[in-house]
Amino acid sequence: MIDLFIGEFKRTWVQTLRYPSEVIGGVVILTAVFYGIFVGAQYMTGSSGGAFGDRLDAIVVGYVIWTLVVYIVNDIATNLQMEARTGTLEQVFLSPFGAPKVFLARAIASLTLRLLLILAVLAIIIAMTGSQIAFPPMLLLPLITLLLSAYGLAFFIGSFALVLKKVQQVLSMFQFVLFFLLATPTEDWTGPARLVANVLPILPSTGLLRDLMARNQSLDWDRWAIALLNGVIYFTIGTLLFRWAEGQAKRQGTLGSY
Amino acid sequence: MPSVSHSLSADLRSLPRFALVSEALNKSYGRGKQRFEAVRDVSLKIAPGEVLAFLGPNGAGKTTTIKMIAGLIRPDAGKVEIAGKDPHRNPQALQGVGAVLEGNRNLYWRLTPLENLEYFGVLRQMPRKLAKSRGMDLLKTFGLVERRNVAVQKLSRGMQQKIAIAVALIHQPHLLLLDEPTLGLDVEAGETVKQLVRQVAESGCAILLTTHQLSVAESLSDRVAIIREGRIITEQPTQALIRQFSKDAGYYIEIEGRLDTSRREAIASLGATVGDSYISYYPEAAASDSDKRLASATLYKILSILDPLPIVEIRQERANLTDIFLQLVKQ
Ligand SMILES: Nc1ncnc2c1ncn2[C@@H]1O[C@H](COP(=O)(O)OP(=O)(O)OP(=O)(O)O)[C@@H](O)[C@H]1O
Ligand SMILES: [Mg+2]
Repeated sequence: MIDLFIGEFKRTWVQTLRYPSEVIGGVVILTAVFYGIFVGAQYMTGSSGGAFGDRLDAIVVGYVIWTLVVYIVNDIATNLQMEARTGTLEQVFLSPFGAPKVFLARAIASLTLRLLLILAVLAIIIAMTGSQIAFPPMLLLPLITLLLSAYGLAFFIGSFALVLKKVQQVLSMFQFVLFFLLATPTEDWTGPARLVANVLPILPSTGLLRDLMARNQSLDWDRWAIALLNGVIYFTIGTLLFRWAEGQAKRQGTLGSY
Repeated sequence: MPSVSHSLSADLRSLPRFALVSEALNKSYGRGKQRFEAVRDVSLKIAPGEVLAFLGPNGAGKTTTIKMIAGLIRPDAGKVEIAGKDPHRNPQALQGVGAVLEGNRNLYWRLTPLENLEYFGVLRQMPRKLAKSRGMDLLKTFGLVERRNVAVQKLSRGMQQKIAIAVALIHQPHLLLLDEPTLGLDVEAGETVKQLVRQVAESGCAILLTTHQLSVAESLSDRVAIIREGRIITEQPTQALIRQFSKDAGYYIEIEGRLDTSRREAIASLGATVGDSYISYYPEAAASDSDKRLASATLYKILSILDPLPIVEIRQERANLTDIFLQLVKQ
């Protein structure tokens, strides 16, 4: 199992770093998009500098979460499609480890790589905007629930990729929906809207991360319990659906088709 | 050393009689009016060290069958056992299986051959170091050592195919599934692959091979199974099948120069067909041993008439797999 993890790690890294221009391009685009949002937000609120501080930090955190979640959710589905096309997908399903273990090892490997990339982007953004976000160790807890929920979604959409093959539209629509959800301060919602925010994937964790990193608040354990439940439920649903999708693709004989 | 003989005998006992047993596999695609039976009641068994050529026209159901065996397509009915385990229930059954699947390159394009071999070795539960060193050995066997550090996407189609085969062999499988392994290979690479298949079989690996190049099947296989419209129509040892179809085969003799008239007439009177410089002789279908003796007596008579003319060629006309295949599939 350790060898599998190292193997996946190496594969992901080599595939990504073989063309460094792609990696650099990715960083540049991520940073540039953020800069656009930043300038736009400044313009709309008509403020700049000091008063903008907390808002700015919230935007930075929201943006970073957005890029991370979009990446995670895209990762499994697009890789499934790509590997079906190059013919490696069936070889992966021939592994005696069984598909769930292999895909879990892959997810962890690619996440590690992605986190490094995002840290680089974050450093650039902070240097550019003078944002003062905090990194308390406690942020790991809502980060974990965020990842659980995001991977739940990733496996959910990955299931559609396995069975229906075409998920490009779903993925781009998802990016926009997520963008607007993250731009909305859902953590301030009350009443029935609060309930909705708790039930939607990812949102309970993002509110907590913004509180911790941008607003210097301490972790609200009750809300974290909700975030944990949210993450565990989405992850379970996602992986169960994925197992079903694997069986369905094998019944249809379409595992390797695209 | 006593330990060696002990381990050998232990091996013999633990070696299963069949590396692969598949029984009454059935698969239909689609529903309702669109329903289409791609594979019907296909049973295949392969012993360790045996090469089974699985032949059939396009769309006959070969790939579907192979993927059912590999656990990639779920059969509607029937069972698969690889070394006693069902790959559809227990992924561990796949531990001893290597496969090169049809039309795919089966490789990560951005990785080098060696990186691919190492990765797939690990994916098949090998220790990483071992995967790497065995990968190097395989690259040597395939003559690709110099290319080991070039990304696979920059290699030629034939090289990619060779690496795909090497990847299937990385973990020393007991069952090798090859779906058209020589497609797109040049003559030399095709020969390398043929030799390799032989070696792998000699080491005790069972091989299921599909190909549309029947000469490859004829020279490699111990047994042939022919599938048509999802059903197996023949399954026999290759040589027995060829003998069966060669029963009423004749002899062909070619001489240097032209035959003179007296010899022509003498030979024609024995029942042979005579041309300018060749003779072909088809004995009556030999039903008994005495018929056979009569046929070869006639052959010697023809030869003594020809004596002392220089002979260019003399051969028995045997059916080849291509003729047999075409006959069987057209029926
Ligand atoms: N996933 C699928 N869905 C529907 N029909 C399929 C599917 N896969 C294969 N078929 C059909 O099943 C039949 C058998 O296909 P298969 O690929 O097994 O043939 P084959 O013997 O491998 O042919 P070839 O020599 O061309 O490779 C074909 O008619 C094919 O169209
Ligand atoms: Mg086929």
